[in-house]
Amino acid sequence: MRRTMRVLVVEDEKKVAKALREGLEAEHYRVRLAFSGEEGFFLVNHEAFDCVVLDLMLPQRDGLEVLTTLRKRGLQTPVLILTAKDTIDDRVRGLDSGADDYLVKPFAIPELLARIRALLRRGRPDQILKLHQDDLEMDLMTRTVVRAGQTLDLTAKEFEVLEYLLRHLGHVVSREMLTRDVWRIAARATPFDNVIDVTIARLRRKIDDPFQAKLLHTVRGVGFVLRRDRG
Amino acid sequence: MRVAVPSVRTRLTLWHAGVLALVICLFSAGTLLFVRAGLYRALDEQIERDLATIEKVYREETGDLGELDHRMGMTLFEVAEGHTVIYRTASWPPPDTKPYRMRASADAVHRISVARDETALRQTLWTLAVILAMGIPCAIGLAIAGGYLLAGRVLAPVGAMAATARRITAESLSARLPVENPRDEFGQLANVFNETLSRLDAAFEQLRRFTADASHELRTPLTGMRSIGEVALQRSLTVQEYREVVASMLEEVDRLTRLVENLLLLTRAEAGRIPLTPTVVDLCELVVSVSESLRVLAEDKDQKLTVEPLAPVTAACDASILRLGVTNLVYNAITYTPNKGVISVAATRSPAGDALIEVQDTGPGIPAAHRERIFDRFYRLDSGRSRETGGIGLGLAIARWAVEANGGRIELESEEGRGSLFRIVLPSS
Repeated sequence: MRRTMRVLVVEDEKKVAKALREGLEAEHYRVRLAFSGEEGFFLVNHEAFDCVVLDLMLPQRDGLEVLTTLRKRGLQTPVLILTAKDTIDDRVRGLDSGADDYLVKPFAIPELLARIRALLRRGRPDQILKLHQDDLEMDLMTRTVVRAGQTLDLTAKEFEVLEYLLRHLGHVVSREMLTRDVWRIAARATPFDNVIDVTIARLRRKIDDPFQAKLLHTVRGVGFVLRRDRG
Repeated sequence: MRVAVPSVRTRLTLWHAGVLALVICLFSAGTLLFVRAGLYRALDEQIERDLATIEKVYREETGDLGELDHRMGMTLFEVAEGHTVIYRTASWPPPDTKPYRMRASADAVHRISVARDETALRQTLWTLAVILAMGIPCAIGLAIAGGYLLAGRVLAPVGAMAATARRITAESLSARLPVENPRDEFGQLANVFNETLSRLDAAFEQLRRFTADASHELRTPLTGMRSIGEVALQRSLTVQEYREVVASMLEEVDRLTRLVENLLLLTRAEAGRIPLTPTVVDLCELVVSVSESLRVLAEDKDQKLTVEPLAPVTAACDASILRLGVTNLVYNAITYTPNKGVISVAATRSPAGDALIEVQDTGPGIPAAHRERIFDRFYRLDSGRSRETGGIGLGLAIARWAVEANGGRIELESEEGRGSLFRIVLPSS
């Protein structure tokens, strides 16, 4: 059994903080909440965390200021900043202050979870050559997908989407994440939701339709997840 | 201490009067000198004539000088030979009480001197000087009064314009300044004002429409969320039903998020706060890549999506922003073209050397009346249909910005019932 990861969430908006706590706890993290920069600063100095989620607009003490001070003191913990400011300048300033990653509000919880997983994984590069779930198997070297011994013919994009879903196995993947990470489109205003929906539908036709157990599920209003059929 | 700057009317009057005063003074001085010179010349000629007469009389019949004296009246004279006075009028030499003008003609033997009283001449000059000295202030006074009245009349249109302009606010931008004569300076000024007002009016109108549209678009998902939530709470539901409710609300949130993203992008773009990083972009590669990424949508509607990179075309522009524009155009074409339609995308170069990207569809086309405004934010041909297709009405506005930010323009050719052609033109230089 792996040790439970401890996450500190510094966020002054109570509702958001509570949602973050529940979202993280559902993923088996231990969560501490701080509602101000001051409190967050205190907690970081007195307890050990594996990851800090830091809102930038905080009362009393600005998030960036807290972060800068912490980094000066030699804090190594990965920090993910949440911000409503998404201009390039703001991002650069955030990352320069020592943040490991940033997420722009409004963000999707699945994406936050994925980012935190990535931060915690950091330093342990995974040289995975094969991904699989149940009887679905993906070979990253030969770029083939086999389900129940049957080779599936996927387009390049479908392959990439499936790979992304397999890498986030059991976790919901949002449309935004797919747009950015699979289609590699940074502009958030690009109309890509329909493209994703159609691609997912086609992928589902190939990997699920001929088989009894369904693997690719749509979580309405949130995104998609690859996991064993529950019902 | 600051001295208040006098009004234009006062300044005009003062300038006018000042210049006029200078002119009058110069003119008066000139007149005085001219008259003076003329009078003296006449007097001198008179004296010359006297001299000649005296000399003649003296040479021919010396004894008649007394009679001559009698005839000549006012003229005083003396005829002398060496130191001997031959004849001299009664009051010679001329008395100091009156000014006299004297002339003499002399040769080795005799000498004739003539003097004439110039009091009358001086009197004339003096009178003239007095008249001028009294006339100049009067003339200047008249000039000031007249100039003031004239300046007032000339400047009256400016006052009227100012009064009208003062009444024009953001609320009444449709009002225009009166133009009395469009060809004169004030008419031109008023026209320029009116043109500016028209542009302002259009801009405000656009802003008003945008605000109305934006609030409508923003309220729709909010209303959705609210009513879905309220209805759900009215009765108890099963877990599955609750999941549906939450999912439905999340879909509205998604819509709202997308809307806000797009609006923010446009707002920032308008404020010029999106930095561009131009590189040399292979437009063929760009159209192929955009078309391929959207191909699934066309296939889903049984549409034929063809890409024709006719010739290698490059342009200096920001690749990701131009891509956004092209994506929106192709996406738009796929969305509004019915099933089994044809969309063709091409990158080519015009004869003039401009880089072109053309997106042609076999959709319903755009009526001429809408072509101007189709790129406006939230502008839709048919709101019901667009909403079904999930558009938020900002795609073309974003496309236009993306192209214009890169120094290009979008041209639209459309034939109702036959389809539309959107052409991105990126000038070569």
